[in-house]
Amino acid sequence: MAVLTPEIVPGLVAGGASARVVDADLPAKFNVGDTVQMKNTNPSTHTRLARYVRGKTGVVNMHHGVFHFNDVIAHHGQGHQNCYSVKFTMLELWGEGYSATDYVYIDMFDDYMDKVS
Amino acid sequence: MNSIHDMGGMEGFGPINPEENEAVFHYEWEKPIFGFFFCLFAGGQINVDVFRHAIERLGNLHYLEGSYYEHWLGAFQTLLVEGGTVTIEEIDAKMTELKGDAN
Repeated sequence: MAVLTPEIVPGLVAGGASARVVDADLPAKFNVGDTVQMKNTNPSTHTRLARYVRGKTGVVNMHHGVFHFNDVIAHHGQGHQNCYSVKFTMLELWGEGYSATDYVYIDMFDDYMDKVS
Repeated sequence: MNSIHDMGGMEGFGPINPEENEAVFHYEWEKPIFGFFFCLFAGGQINVDVFRHAIERLGNLHYLEGSYYEHWLGAFQTLLVEGGTVTIEEIDAKMTELKGDAN
């Protein structure tokens, strides 16, 4: 069992621990510029796919790399996926009356979306 | 999980009024709760995502009415009971004992 010693506490408190997986050999499923639609899914388990973005369409803006996949780690599982910054218009997220030229960027995993074009 | 933690787009919570020079801890009991996180992490009882999911499962009313560190305490209780470290009966017995001390 790991032991918490006084020496490691300040670092943990200040910075936490990174969830990035640096040695994963996992090709990206999506490319920057791809139009992608978020899945409409309502799992009873943990997910970072927020309700307000389910079913919505955006554009992959950046590939962050590979990270531990929260949805399985939260249930004591193991797994990692590519994570991307996806750009959504306010109009797409909130509908009529909202801007088509203001954007929200949300981080998304491979499993959260499908390619549209 | 569709619970109250997923608040994006909701209205009606009123203004956010940040305190000036806000203290890190508002009550003494919050300090050991903060420390618990690192002990349980190092001990392998929790990880950040298991912890977050336990907060999602607090119950929606408790979540809205509870303070930040009450959420942490509730999550630790859930996870320590689920992991078999303590039982609800042991927690209840200790609570009864502590109430007795206060009277």
